[in-house]
Amino acid sequence: MTSKYGGYMGKIIEIDLSSRTTREYPWSDRERELFIGGKIMAMKILGDNLTGTEQPLSDENIIVIATGPLTGTGAPSSSRFDISTLSPQTGIMTSSNCGGTFGYYMKKAGYDAIILRGKCSEHTWLEINNSSFVFHNADDLWGLNCTPCQDKLIEKMNEIRGCRAKFGKLCIGPGGENLVKYAAVISDERAAGRTGIGSVFGYKNLKAVTISGNHEIPIFDEEKTRAWTQKWFRYLKSHPLTGNQLPRLGTAGLVSSMQMRSILATKNYNFGQYEHFDKVNGELLAEEFNIVNKGCLTCPIKCARTVNVEGKEVKGPELEILGLLGGGILNPDLYSILKWNNELDELGLDTISASSTLAWAMEANEKGLWDNGLNFGETENISQIWDDIAHRRGIGDELAEGSKRLSAKYGGEEFAIQSKGLELAAYEPRHAVGQGLGYAVSNRGGCHLNGGYLVILEGLGLNTDSLTPHAKADFTMMFQNLMEMISATGQCLFTSYAFFPGFLITRPNGIVTKTANAVLPYLGWAIRIANKCPEIMAVHLPVFHHTKMMKYAVGMNMTFGKYIRCGERGYTLERYVSTRFGVSSKDDTLPKRLTDVPQDPNNPKTRVPLEVMKKTYYKARGWDKNGIPTERTLKKLKII
Amino acid sequence: MVHVQLFGLFRLDSGIRELDVDVDSIRKLYPVLLAKAKEIDPNTTVTARDIDGCIIVINGVQSRKTAKLKDGDQVMLMSPVCGG
Repeated sequence: MTSKYGGYMGKIIEIDLSSRTTREYPWSDRERELFIGGKIMAMKILGDNLTGTEQPLSDENIIVIATGPLTGTGAPSSSRFDISTLSPQTGIMTSSNCGGTFGYYMKKAGYDAIILRGKCSEHTWLEINNSSFVFHNADDLWGLNCTPCQDKLIEKMNEIRGCRAKFGKLCIGPGGENLVKYAAVISDERAAGRTGIGSVFGYKNLKAVTISGNHEIPIFDEEKTRAWTQKWFRYLKSHPLTGNQLPRLGTAGLVSSMQMRSILATKNYNFGQYEHFDKVNGELLAEEFNIVNKGCLTCPIKCARTVNVEGKEVKGPELEILGLLGGGILNPDLYSILKWNNELDELGLDTISASSTLAWAMEANEKGLWDNGLNFGETENISQIWDDIAHRRGIGDELAEGSKRLSAKYGGEEFAIQSKGLELAAYEPRHAVGQGLGYAVSNRGGCHLNGGYLVILEGLGLNTDSLTPHAKADFTMMFQNLMEMISATGQCLFTSYAFFPGFLITRPNGIVTKTANAVLPYLGWAIRIANKCPEIMAVHLPVFHHTKMMKYAVGMNMTFGKYIRCGERGYTLERYVSTRFGVSSKDDTLPKRLTDVPQDPNNPKTRVPLEVMKKTYYKARGWDKNGIPTERTLKKLKII
Repeated sequence: MVHVQLFGLFRLDSGIRELDVDVDSIRKLYPVLLAKAKEIDPNTTVTARDIDGCIIVINGVQSRKTAKLKDGDQVMLMSPVCGG
């Protein structure tokens, strides 16, 4: 079924891995208008097919790999795709977003989304080329780490094609094969890392997928799209954040700033500052280890680092891993973090959950709850621990379950730093309470980005009062909706950071920035109105290029207000589907360490006042007091 | 003597990681930093405006460019960053 809109290939393919059959999944332009693409489209498909009785690791679970309408169009940072499923780590719906080239090649093969049902009868590599689907035996790939596996796929594809083949690829490592709860899917050097999607692939015996094709990606208005793309590229390159800081320091550049704002998770979130932060920060990484910056397709930001580890050029760490494997376990050795980061990627493990689970285990050992031999500051055997987790050997078999399940078994739930079973990133929320709310209410569990990333107002970017709950629920909702939509269109979230005028970033001591910081907590009412009636924002904002790109490349009559509303629909839809699997207010929680114990013993405000923010948040979203979307809200958003 | 550490892009641009200086205010730190940057790279593009754009932390507490300094103070200057 073709589409009147640009950007879409007009086809969703459903593959039954058990019977090795395919069929086209019906999808109309009306559904494209409402559910756009990527994670929102995937959630609609999952919602229409899952009843709430399915288990994550079962034949009945479904994987949806979805692109957005801008994926592969040449728009800035538009290589993204999502993998969505029922998560084995959290037991609810999840999406994990990934860069690289796979999304582009999916479009070239002619598909907006791929639905994977059932289970392969043997270890399988699925080769998709246009409308050809070949199920290869993958016994020789099974057991391989992610780089050797992808290298072998290149060899095999070259052999099949008889030339240097161009294709997208994704695979799992031993972590996914052995059903580690937080196993990742790896594509080139990028990861759909969070919530254990890799183990769903592992359960289905699906080691790898390759994809290629020769379809043209349609553009609604080529001339205007080209001109707008060039303008947007220039804007991103000239912005101090996307044109200077992120290319030169990567996300690792945040570590020092987090230290200054007391939000650098230290010793399993006991503290917000690490005395040796300057030995594990982005500046040192840039000065002594970074070889070259890398970016995904059509990305002018190029935030990824490339470092040398044991003679090989490999992907460098993000700030989350510098925080969690630096101060998080009291380790002042940057090189060890580079090495572990690479090992975790190779094994196909989520770096955040693996690191945070390790920190929990160290504290459990320190407190005498679990005699596991792991101690803060002792790092000699960590590489072996990762390998044991991925292969489920010894204590690795237990660590593979994540901190929520481990703390339920041994005790120490108050310092298991997770929400809904998903471990938090390295931002310590007791000095950024809005970020704390985001972690708790995030649809997929303790995710900083899905949570709305309010820390960008609370110290990393702007510097508004980070301890007040005022306006935080309203800003959280708006940012969540905005980021939901950016992901759904196939673009990287980092494009949204240029939303902040450059002078607010570069002039933190200027009168305008100071005024903005002072006023923001009093603007909750205004943001609430904008959230309630986004249609009143029937404009294109000059600093937000996304809406015009949707208009020119896709042909949708998009405005900022409509954009926000689509994001809201996606966010509430995911929550709605997850309620079938039992999610409610009781799950929107944080460990007691973050809500009950002040980070600064002399300042009782340095803890997350979660309940008061949650009430405002649910009300703003049109969810009831139990955190369930009301029928009225679902109808208003055209979800039912 | 005051211990000064630099972070963010200002550190990369100036080439200065840390230094000990004998000054009694943040304002008096400016010419010292600019001279040091010039010493490291005669073609440096670092200016006082770059220092103006830094977050200033004295002994762990965010401060202002008008702040006074005393012997033993630990100063951190950081060009702001965001996004991650």
